[in-house]
Amino acid sequence: MKLTKIAGALALSAAVATSLIAAETVKIGVQAPITGKYANEGQSIDNFVKLIVAEKNAQGGLLGKQIEVVTCDDEAKAQKAAVCAKKLVNAGVFAVIGSYTSGATEAAQTTYYRNKVLQTSDGTSDSLIKRKYWTFFRNSFPNSSQSDFTAQYMVNTKKYKNIVVLSDYSSYSAGLGDATEASIKALGGNITFRGKIKSGTQNFTAILTKIKAMKPDVIYYSGYYTDGGLLRAQQKQLQINADFVGGDSNDNPDFYKLAGKAADGTVLINFPTPEILPYPEAKKYLAAYKAEYKMDPPSIWPVTNADGLRAVIEGVEQTKSFDTKKIAEYVRTMKDFPGITGPFNIREDGERVGAKFVVYKMANDGTKKVVSE
Amino acid sequence: MDIFLQQLINGLTIGSLYALVALGYTMVYGVMKLINFAHGDLVAFSAYVGLTVFTQFFGSNSTSFVSIIIVFLLTAIIVAFVGVLLERLAYRPLRTAPRLSAVVSALGASLVIQNAIMLIWGPNMEIFPADVFPSTSWNFGGVIISFTQVIILALSAVLMISLYMFINKTKMGTAIRASAIDQDAAKLMGINVNRIIMIIFIVGSMLGAIGGLFIGIYYRGLTFDMGWLYGLNAFIAAIIGGIGSIPGAMLGGLLLGLFNAMISGYISTEWAETFTFILLIVILIVKPTGLLGEKTAEKV
Repeated sequence: MKLTKIAGALALSAAVATSLIAAETVKIGVQAPITGKYANEGQSIDNFVKLIVAEKNAQGGLLGKQIEVVTCDDEAKAQKAAVCAKKLVNAGVFAVIGSYTSGATEAAQTTYYRNKVLQTSDGTSDSLIKRKYWTFFRNSFPNSSQSDFTAQYMVNTKKYKNIVVLSDYSSYSAGLGDATEASIKALGGNITFRGKIKSGTQNFTAILTKIKAMKPDVIYYSGYYTDGGLLRAQQKQLQINADFVGGDSNDNPDFYKLAGKAADGTVLINFPTPEILPYPEAKKYLAAYKAEYKMDPPSIWPVTNADGLRAVIEGVEQTKSFDTKKIAEYVRTMKDFPGITGPFNIREDGERVGAKFVVYKMANDGTKKVVSE
Repeated sequence: MDIFLQQLINGLTIGSLYALVALGYTMVYGVMKLINFAHGDLVAFSAYVGLTVFTQFFGSNSTSFVSIIIVFLLTAIIVAFVGVLLERLAYRPLRTAPRLSAVVSALGASLVIQNAIMLIWGPNMEIFPADVFPSTSWNFGGVIISFTQVIILALSAVLMISLYMFINKTKMGTAIRASAIDQDAAKLMGINVNRIIMIIFIVGSMLGAIGGLFIGIYYRGLTFDMGWLYGLNAFIAAIIGGIGSIPGAMLGGLLLGLFNAMISGYISTEWAETFTFILLIVILIVKPTGLLGEKTAEKV
């Protein structure tokens, strides 16, 4: 009698214990600019992560645990990013998706590395993998791959003779600008002027007037759409008859809204935008995203971040552990993991390889047409 | 030469925007000896109000002359109302308090307005419709002036001249100048100083509102924190011209815009701001009261 009671109690406590384990959650962090200039990108990263997590949780979670998303708003600022990193580490996340900008990503990197927390970001600054942290891998492609492609297009395809390269002062944009300058020079192209603008100052007429005197064939801008759209509008207003080629971060519907009619003829170089991604995963997840949030992601970046998350999830499931070291190693050995943005391959230093770019031309009505791949 | 003239036009355009905003700082300072830090955010607020009025009443495509005037008037009235409210709630209760309290209150009001903008219109960039004014521009031998720039330059000039007349030639202007010199003496002369301060806030806010609308129409992209950018530059313009002096604010704004354009055009774009501010510091060292600032008698 006594024995059965004890056995019963034991069984009961065991049942309680297992149910406790089953109810236990694992946490995944999102570090993104939820407010501020790049809020629509940051919110979309958060949304996409939550979409994939909801799908996973509905399938029974990760190794039987429900996933909980902890979001921290870094406002795309380095100082806030450092605070976010501490906050997410303290919240006990094992992996962090983000941030959107390279600057905010870089500011948080060391904290995640010291605390053995995985981090994956769409930041494209080459410096992100310079420190070779095993905790970090990139889910987009680096500036250097884009700059080679851009230089090919401008020097060999379009045969521009006088090229102006502009960037802002952010680590991403200056990095891409420098890399493009180097790639153009490597191909024997002629750079008439390399300048920097201060993001957010809105008035670029002074530098553009200076550029006008140089009679360039093309102005290449490696910064963000918030400044790129204005730059293009003011270029047209000053009647500078040069083509305008924008780097990937100009590719946002707001570029067209800011530039207005001046957007006509703008050339953008970017990864394929979400809606033209040809992969089956892309169709599935983008349709799910649209069904859930009633809009498309504003750009490719939330989608590459979603791929980063999917790679982490794949890593957990294949290694059957939450040991971040093992997951990081697994992610680096994956071969052509079917990502939403195409085959997903990570090099030893955390670099994503196999970049693919598209050249778009913008029309008067804001639509984009692929002109070459 | 055409490049030089183009830089001149560029500088004057942004300079007159700074000047319009700077007037708000200088008028309030002149009467109340208070730096109204919330003024820059009021300017950002007016750009947002203008955008809302425009899209609500006229859709984004209508650009008739009458509708634009209505947008300007309505925005100016709304912003003037908010400006008066600001004075009532944030500054009047502190009129007799130490000056530092009023400055802190001003900084607080600035944050309140900034965050209110973020909560009302959201944190994303809002974009003014294209071509509120016709997109015509004229080419004078390589110097390009757009219709919007002409409107900005002309209307700013008209506003500044009428303000100057108002302050110097009318009875109300005399009362404002009297209150600026000595509030207690002005009260003894039968001037209702509270009413004067209210008028100062109405006029300053309206000028700021027009500046904010121009910023919205000319530069298009609105962010909730843009008030800092324009506010700070305009504040500096007011100091350069001599804070408290109305012609000084106009001169300071134009100089700031011109220096910046010329230095980025002819010396270095990267170092433009640094050089501009070095130059301005030199001006202040040589003439600490600002270019047109009056020496105030020290009360010993």
